[in-house]
Amino acid sequence: MSLSPFLGNVFLVDLVKGLSVTFHNQSEKERITEQYPLQRPVVYERYRGQPRLNVSPDTGESLCIVCNLCALACPEQLITVKGERNPVSKRKEVVSWTYDLSRCMFCGLCEEACSTDALELTQDYEMALYSRQGMMLDQAALEKGQAPVRYAK
Amino acid sequence: MLDAIKTYLNSTVTPGEAGSQFWALLYIVAITLGISLAVIAMNWLERKILAHMQIRLGPMRVGPHGLMQPFADALKLLIKEDIIPANADKLVFWSAPVVVTMTAFTTFLVVPFGRTHAVTDMNIGVLFMLGISSLGVLGIIMAGWSSNSHYPLMGSLRSSAQMVSYEVAMGLAIVCAVLMTSLQTGTGTLSMIGIVQAQQAQGVWFIFKFFPLGFLAFVVFAIAMIAETNRAPFDLPEAESELVAGFHTEYSGFRWSLFFLAEYAAMLAVSSIAVTLWLGGWLRPFPNLLSGPAWDLAFSLIPGLSFLVMAAGCFLGTMRMPKIVQMRAQAIGLGTFGALLGLLGLVMLAPAVRDRIQDIFWFVAKVAVFMYLYIWYRGTFPRYRFDQLMKVGWKVLLPIGLGVLILTALVGMRHELLAVVVGGTR
Repeated sequence: MSLSPFLGNVFLVDLVKGLSVTFHNQSEKERITEQYPLQRPVVYERYRGQPRLNVSPDTGESLCIVCNLCALACPEQLITVKGERNPVSKRKEVVSWTYDLSRCMFCGLCEEACSTDALELTQDYEMALYSRQGMMLDQAALEKGQAPVRYAK
Repeated sequence: MLDAIKTYLNSTVTPGEAGSQFWALLYIVAITLGISLAVIAMNWLERKILAHMQIRLGPMRVGPHGLMQPFADALKLLIKEDIIPANADKLVFWSAPVVVTMTAFTTFLVVPFGRTHAVTDMNIGVLFMLGISSLGVLGIIMAGWSSNSHYPLMGSLRSSAQMVSYEVAMGLAIVCAVLMTSLQTGTGTLSMIGIVQAQQAQGVWFIFKFFPLGFLAFVVFAIAMIAETNRAPFDLPEAESELVAGFHTEYSGFRWSLFFLAEYAAMLAVSSIAVTLWLGGWLRPFPNLLSGPAWDLAFSLIPGLSFLVMAAGCFLGTMRMPKIVQMRAQAIGLGTFGALLGLLGLVMLAPAVRDRIQDIFWFVAKVAVFMYLYIWYRGTFPRYRFDQLMKVGWKVLLPIGLGVLILTALVGMRHELLAVVVGGTR
């Protein structure tokens, strides 16, 4: 047995090291628990959460041009977009839009495929629901975004 | 009545020595209440400090910073259904928590919180404490046996094996300190008060006596006492991963809380033995080095000031609370708690009070350090395997304890030994 591990055992060096780790953990800076309902966590910029269909801020019209790229890009094929051409403006307009959130894995491929920045995975993280039916999002729900239910005393 | 209080305030001995049954009874009630309060505080502190060591917050919801959590828990335990297993031995099952709690509390009869602040001064004080606290094993075995279940039985057997083997090392360490009491007077003492007075007379805490012999004895005791009270890292009888909860698996509600109370009371008891034997009991730090009226005054102000500091901490916490409606009640609660602590601190600064409570404060402060160490160890060290535990007890602590005992005896008797050697050669 070499000398230094033996001395380490005698003077309990490892134990003292461990004690110092736990002692320094007591500092308030180290604490990572958040008091969630009272303090809302700040999510990272790259966080992908609740999907939203953006509307033009000036006119309030949908930015979606029914190109179907998002539906093609989706590996889960949970997006269905149907539209028809408006004979007056010669633009394609949305007839029905569904997004099945229950199957979504938030890969963000639809967001990248979107050519008009219409579809966006926002930073909202409160997506829990009581039924799977509520996870079938239509155009109205996607444009409005889902407001979390606030429980108050 | 007034005379009784006056004679008490002027007395220089414990109620037991003075033969005053009334004051002795009052002390017993006060100590019982104090221990219960300390257990409640320990419950909160343990959960809080352990949480902070694991980078968590701990209880935060019941009261400001979870201060009311122990009370909520106690209420929950009291109104819980009281279950006795169908095939349990009912009488033994019923009496086991009583035995454990009684033994844990009885030890405090001889704990000297100050020269006059003890129920009585027994000339076999240390022996009494060791004997009574070892009796707690009986309650644990009773609990394990009467539950008529595998886990409690295994837990209680482990617990008894562990407590019996660590008792040996603990006893050797204690004998070292008792040997040191005889150094100046020639006669040693087992009285708890006598041991502290011996440290006062010799002008040194026994932990620093014959360095490193006193310190080594203290370390042996400090390790043995953790095993003795079944705490982490020696908490094998309660190992959750193997034995569910050890000897109190089948207990619930109030009976379980009695075990809890007894465990913490036993921790306080062995810590107070350690404080009395090695850390100068109720003596303030440096009573000889920093003596004189100025230093006396300075040290007597510390109890009150420390309470004021705690109060300031509470007010700081109030200021730093999130300014939202939901936290308003908690902020007010914390402020009130701080005001209470501040008031206590101010009362402690009054000359009449501070002379009386100084010794209690120093004793409690030293015990509190040990309580923090208990929590700290629990937050740091993983549990020992049972054979490792036995190895540490029998192959490490016992030889060290024996060696330290022999060396202490030799060093203490060095003049006489020299005289014999010199006389022999002549």
